[in-house]
Amino acid sequence: MSEEERNVVAPEQVPVADSIVARFGNALRTDDRDGYEGYVVSVESLKDVATVLRDELGYDYLSSVTGVDYFDEGKIEVVYHAYQTSGGPALNFKVQVDRENPILPSLVSVYPGADFQEREIFDMYGVSFEGHPNLRRILMWDGFAGHPLRKDWQEAYFEEENKPFDSRWPGGDVKRSEAENRFGKNVSYPDEFDIDNWAPEDDSSLYAGLNKSGSNGKKLKTDSLVVNMGPQHPSTHGVFRMVVALDGETITDLQPVMGYLHRNHEKIGERNTFLQNMPYTDRLDYLSSMSNNLGYSLAVEKLMGVDVPERAEYLRVLMAELTRVSNHMWAIGFLLNDLGAFQTPALYAIRARELILDIFEATAGSRMMCNYMRFGGVARDLPDTLRDENTVDFIGDLVNERLPAAIDELDRFLTGNEIVRSRCIGVGVLPADKAIAYSTAGPLLRASGVPYDLRRAEPYSIYDRLDFEVCTRSNGDVYDRYVVRIDEMRESVKICQQVMREIPEEGEIFTGKPQYNVRVPKGESYGRVENPKGELGYYVVSKGKTNPYRYHVRAPSFINLTVLGEMCKGHKVADAVVILGSIDIVLGEVDR
Amino acid sequence: MEAVSAAQIIFIVVALLTVATTFLVVTVRNLIHAALWLVATLFGIAVIFVLLDAGFMATVQIVLYIGAIAILIVFAVMLTRRVMQDVGPQSNENWWLGTIVAAVFFAAISTLLWSIRWPALPGAVVGDTVLALGRSLVDPNQYVIPFEVASVMLIIALIGSITLALPGKQSE
Amino acid sequence: MSPVIGIVIEAIIKSALMVFVLATAFAYLTLAERKIAAFVQVRKGPNRVGPWGLMQPAADGIKLLFKEEMVPAGADKVLFFLAPILTMIPAMVIMAVVPIGPDVELFGRSIRLGISDLNVGMLYILSVASVAVYGIVLAGWSSANKYSLLGGLRASAQMISYEIALGLSIIGPIILAGTMSLQGIITAQQQSTWYVLWQPVGALVFFLAGLAEVNRAPFDMPEAEQELTAGYFTEYSGMKFSLFFMGEYIKMVAVCAIATTLFLGGYLGPYVEQLPWLGILYFTIKTTALLFLMIWIRLTLPRLRYDQLMAFGWKVLLPLALANVVVTATATVLLG
Repeated sequence: MSEEERNVVAPEQVPVADSIVARFGNALRTDDRDGYEGYVVSVESLKDVATVLRDELGYDYLSSVTGVDYFDEGKIEVVYHAYQTSGGPALNFKVQVDRENPILPSLVSVYPGADFQEREIFDMYGVSFEGHPNLRRILMWDGFAGHPLRKDWQEAYFEEENKPFDSRWPGGDVKRSEAENRFGKNVSYPDEFDIDNWAPEDDSSLYAGLNKSGSNGKKLKTDSLVVNMGPQHPSTHGVFRMVVALDGETITDLQPVMGYLHRNHEKIGERNTFLQNMPYTDRLDYLSSMSNNLGYSLAVEKLMGVDVPERAEYLRVLMAELTRVSNHMWAIGFLLNDLGAFQTPALYAIRARELILDIFEATAGSRMMCNYMRFGGVARDLPDTLRDENTVDFIGDLVNERLPAAIDELDRFLTGNEIVRSRCIGVGVLPADKAIAYSTAGPLLRASGVPYDLRRAEPYSIYDRLDFEVCTRSNGDVYDRYVVRIDEMRESVKICQQVMREIPEEGEIFTGKPQYNVRVPKGESYGRVENPKGELGYYVVSKGKTNPYRYHVRAPSFINLTVLGEMCKGHKVADAVVILGSIDIVLGEVDR
Repeated sequence: MEAVSAAQIIFIVVALLTVATTFLVVTVRNLIHAALWLVATLFGIAVIFVLLDAGFMATVQIVLYIGAIAILIVFAVMLTRRVMQDVGPQSNENWWLGTIVAAVFFAAISTLLWSIRWPALPGAVVGDTVLALGRSLVDPNQYVIPFEVASVMLIIALIGSITLALPGKQSE
Repeated sequence: MSPVIGIVIEAIIKSALMVFVLATAFAYLTLAERKIAAFVQVRKGPNRVGPWGLMQPAADGIKLLFKEEMVPAGADKVLFFLAPILTMIPAMVIMAVVPIGPDVELFGRSIRLGISDLNVGMLYILSVASVAVYGIVLAGWSSANKYSLLGGLRASAQMISYEIALGLSIIGPIILAGTMSLQGIITAQQQSTWYVLWQPVGALVFFLAGLAEVNRAPFDMPEAEQELTAGYFTEYSGMKFSLFFMGEYIKMVAVCAIATTLFLGGYLGPYVEQLPWLGILYFTIKTTALLFLMIWIRLTLPRLRYDQLMAFGWKVLLPLALANVVVTATATVLLG
């Protein structure tokens, strides 16, 4: 693809006022690498620049922080994407630091939402952030040697740098990677390892950081209790652990501990070809694989500069919105489960979801791991018949009749319920300023009264042509998050109705010729979509090869958890479970 | 010598068990175990009430002492002590003083009990014992004064504990 | 045959029958709950073992029997073993004073359908109920697990709190009937009418406090799965676990049976005078209806939070029960 074409689709460069550029002099310069955008900031002035951006230019929302290992240049680059909550494109600034001794100032004091993301960079790249309040590994365990996302780190079963690999059956001889592993088939241990006397490292460092002084200022000396909720716990929605310091039943501090499901998604992504990553994105937030596909497609399409045919755009939006409905159904049903309802609301909620999954199955071939979108379109068109009905009639019936009825039913049974109200109103309150500062996204942010929805703030696909409201509430408690989800489902259904009315009858669903190995031009790109759980972003760096050089996922579940401890303080243990449920996390996305 | 009746055998066994459990209450090291032996003691006393045909007193003994007081003790121990182990000395340097006081008190009570000439029972209460008990508690000729005094005392204790537990009263 | 031996044999037979009936009731109550849950939740429920899944309880029992018994390393072995038994026994013996039918003629003897009729029957029920909390507390403490400990603490606090409201709510029927014997209360209802009409508040308080007493939703705090995994029996497995399970369900049956006796006229019903055996049928129907209500509530409502639960018990139920006692007593004295 020519240089010209790419410039057409490259997102608008965000101009920073000249005066500010001048103020920082050499410390702030435009990133002039081929296919890159934004600014490069010097290490020393990073914090000042961030503060100015936040306070003077209104870039109050730090969407994503991530690292890239430029091995050949001996640099590690940390990339920040900041946005204005009033809408508009990203301001992207980077800082480069030496690979051997990477030390950076922490931005947690400017953007508290950088907390977990900086810890992740520390974990994955070994970059130390000075001034970070709690710089510990976050996804890998504490004793892990090395930093997995560095380019010179190779895992135990390492075969080759890039896929597709050579045949494992060269000349008919099977080559098994476990045969090359010193642990064999994982049943024997090295000689020096003594399983009987092995003691896991204790978590004293984790517990030491907890604030246990809930009873300060009282005459009575009380002992605080540290409870590990999880990783094996019925209401952490997966293998997630909350270390809770309790004074009686009141939470004085809460630390989320994650990484039990970590599979180094991003390293795998760097080894796969661009297209091979598509099914992997399904496994992030496995309840909304369609939207995950969409975000990744947008990021890569931005680099490739391909257009998506009209019908495919409509299909994408239809699928993404149906995903939102099914995800919110799930979220509400299981929020009620966390409130202690015995499965009944959950089963009522996911009854309608089955029909949505039927559509997915008939269209994409799979109910949950859809793998439906492609760069420049979608994989398949709608089938002719679905459940022995005309597909268009089936979907029309669903979005016009059955889904609104199902949503009304949930609304009728739950919204006014006395126990639901008394358990949810005023619980886990998150004020708007804090919600922005902590980079929360999705219903969590909107329930706090911030009308920030990417479909409106920075429209992608055909959302600028569709008529829908951004649902907000003002109190920022668990109840408002629930109501926002109900409202959002209604809006999604409205979008689906428009799509079914306006979708072109016939038409291409894919641009160009389908190919296994797409060539993606050099450059970086950040594609983000309004996922049901919040802003899902993909940061992709291409060096012009068939594999991405860097593939990063800005996971809404992960970043929304940053504020969990803050929201739970002062509430009861039972509330912690409900607050976690109201964030609506999926561990596949948190741990990646 | 008279033949020992079945009721007497039961009484002797129960009384011995009650005393034995009382002994265990003060000797076992684990506080929860001590509290549970106390429950056993209280239960033994309830059985003795049954042997005396005082079914009402027996059930009240269980409801109040086992169901309320002892469970509160267990509750308090669970709240204040580290989960399983309770190490540390069982007595402090004043143990001899306590022994003397206890011995003197025991002697005094024993003397008192021996010296009183207990009146013979006028015969078992006929009819509904619960009814008779209830009547006697509100009969001006019998126990209405002690009953009311006890009630007032309990109310005072109740109000006192509420006052103590009220929040915001810590500042001197 | 001397009359004493006859009475002893009769008591033994009736006790054994009662244990058998309660154990069966437990087994089929679990099945009923699962079936009703399935019905409510648009599912089918157990339907593989026997016709309509009728053999499911047996299959579950066999499975639990053969499960490995685990004892946590730091547990207090004796108490850990004792706790399920202490939960189970009160649940069983509480039914001893509940009459399930009028006296019947059998083998030339007049036989009371109920193990015993104490003149302090209601107090007996309260005392047994107050002992039942020990099993739960000890299970929580002896497991050496924080979830269990929290569950045990919650349970004891909850049961002590609601016992007061429970105790006060039964004073109404006692005043009306003028006796603490359950047989007497039923006889008194035969002369007037079901006490639920005279004592609607008392009946409501009794049912709610009873729900809390047996740890059923929405008061199932001690075993709140979402917060405390399974509460006090987190560490229990196999037969010990099933004893807890059994204790809980039999307590449900007991609470419903007592509520039936106190407020719904027990075994009374049309033609019970002529055909005394009908009494058992009426009693079963009424108890089952209450059990269904309990299950229905569990399937419908979310759980209250612990502090809300305590506040409800102390600030709503207790004053309500107290007021009910005062009003009932005053009215009885004034109206005779």
